[in-house]
Amino acid sequence: MTKPIEGEKKVFMTGNEVVAWAALAAGAEIMYGYPITPQNEIMHYWTRMAPKYGRKFLQTEDEISAGFTCTGGVLAGKRAFTATAGPGNTLMQEPMSMAEMMRIPTVLIVCQRGGPSTATVIYSQQETTMTCYGGNGEGFRIVYSTATHQELFDYTIKAFNTAWKYRFPTFVLGDGYQSKMRESLSIYDPEARNIEMVRAEPYVVKGGVPGENRDPAHLRNTYNMEEELYEVIMDHAREYEKIAPEIIEYEEYECDDADVLLVAHGVVSRAAKGAVKELRQDGKKVGHFKPVTLRPFPEKELLERAKAAKQVIVIESAYGQLDKLVKSHLYGCSTPIAQYFRPGEGITIEEVVQETKKYL
Amino acid sequence: MAKGVKIALAGEGGQGVQSVAMILTEAAYAMGKEALYIPNFGVEQRGGVSVAFVQIDDEKIGSPKFKTADIVVALSDRAVRRTTMYCDQETLFFYDDNIEDVEEDLPKNSKKVVALPAIKVAKEELHPRVFNVVVMGAVIGATGVVTEEKAKEALESKLGYKFEQNPELREMNFKALQRGMEIVKEVM
Repeated sequence: MTKPIEGEKKVFMTGNEVVAWAALAAGAEIMYGYPITPQNEIMHYWTRMAPKYGRKFLQTEDEISAGFTCTGGVLAGKRAFTATAGPGNTLMQEPMSMAEMMRIPTVLIVCQRGGPSTATVIYSQQETTMTCYGGNGEGFRIVYSTATHQELFDYTIKAFNTAWKYRFPTFVLGDGYQSKMRESLSIYDPEARNIEMVRAEPYVVKGGVPGENRDPAHLRNTYNMEEELYEVIMDHAREYEKIAPEIIEYEEYECDDADVLLVAHGVVSRAAKGAVKELRQDGKKVGHFKPVTLRPFPEKELLERAKAAKQVIVIESAYGQLDKLVKSHLYGCSTPIAQYFRPGEGITIEEVVQETKKYL
Repeated sequence: MAKGVKIALAGEGGQGVQSVAMILTEAAYAMGKEALYIPNFGVEQRGGVSVAFVQIDDEKIGSPKFKTADIVVALSDRAVRRTTMYCDQETLFFYDDNIEDVEEDLPKNSKKVVALPAIKVAKEELHPRVFNVVVMGAVIGATGVVTEEKAKEALESKLGYKFEQNPELREMNFKALQRGMEIVKEVM
């Protein structure tokens, strides 16, 4: 069967289209989903393209079911994914909690919309806390926050590998702007860039004989004793902390001599970067730090930059969700932290420039 | 083009502003420029003012939305009222001269307010359905963001299947593009 993408090519498309192409290129075998704006077109493009490459799709009755069927697909050894937004993300926290408990490598693409509840179908960064820490667990998950269509493509592919390599549920945190906007990027066959896809394998119905030539598949989501659960969670915690340094990603822009450090993630970092570019032209010492992984968080790296700066400004389209993350990781740093919150609203270069000038 | 161009296009649902934005950015992309287009979707999708935010630049584009545009095009009375917020003293504001009772609502602070006879030209010389292409021609004429040739190619790639069935449509669209470029020169 022909590959969805041969080699590499330049394209101009919407973010939802980008995700569908990336999942195809990554060799995702099945998508489970339930429609919600602004996620819909990921499903539309997937269902249009997937059959040509022998891939499958299941529409479920809601997001709880989409999440659970996705974990089921993964247990059966399929490289499976799902995508959702807003209230759908809320419902998906229950299956994602199970994925966390049982170390099931699900991949979930989140297209953040305004919240709480139905709110807007447009855009926000208000699903940051939920995507990082949703459910009744400890947030042992991997969350990539993307800013451009190129990142959306790159990290959607990467999410499958991170999930299957480390066996923690993995999330690509996009937003409605990224879903709906069109811009250029390069799409590619992972092989063309020497990216090897981590093999998916079944958790259940394995070959061989348990106890003889393989370990039994002992999958638990229920525990009878406190001590038993404690051991399991502590194992997860140790494992998560051990692998965190390998997973952490971040981007720095003009940070070396920055007096004012702008911290932003996702699409907002484009405004922060644009503002730094503009202010640097006037000789202002401003830099931008963008955590790409929100879980695990690039704590050491940010701390180093924040300590060297005179002022940190956290900029986000939410009322303090990134701010909470930043503060918890900057504990002990005495650099003042200011906030620019626009919950549910896009942030432009112009307003970041204006806001930053207050601290120069 | 030294600096990027920011364009806000607004009209009633069905007037074709999103198509104009799409064709314009496709043409810019084909010219090797950076282009970003984001529709203002949401409730507008279900009958209301539809806004398209377009940015074309030689460099990578920053935030998908912007506070003020270099060019604002408003194609209905509601669109005029909706888009004055995207104007500052650098903005060129276009509206269709067929729109009535908006004199009071036109932006007071913009660089220039220009009435375009796009509806009239489309109706009298061509066909009302190519009205949006006349508007696209006007935007191209005013900014030079893309060449006429690339705009034609983008039209061809978007509407080629319709042109195959009815080659007259191709001529009409190309004529609309050209007339748009001409009328903007006449009124500015």
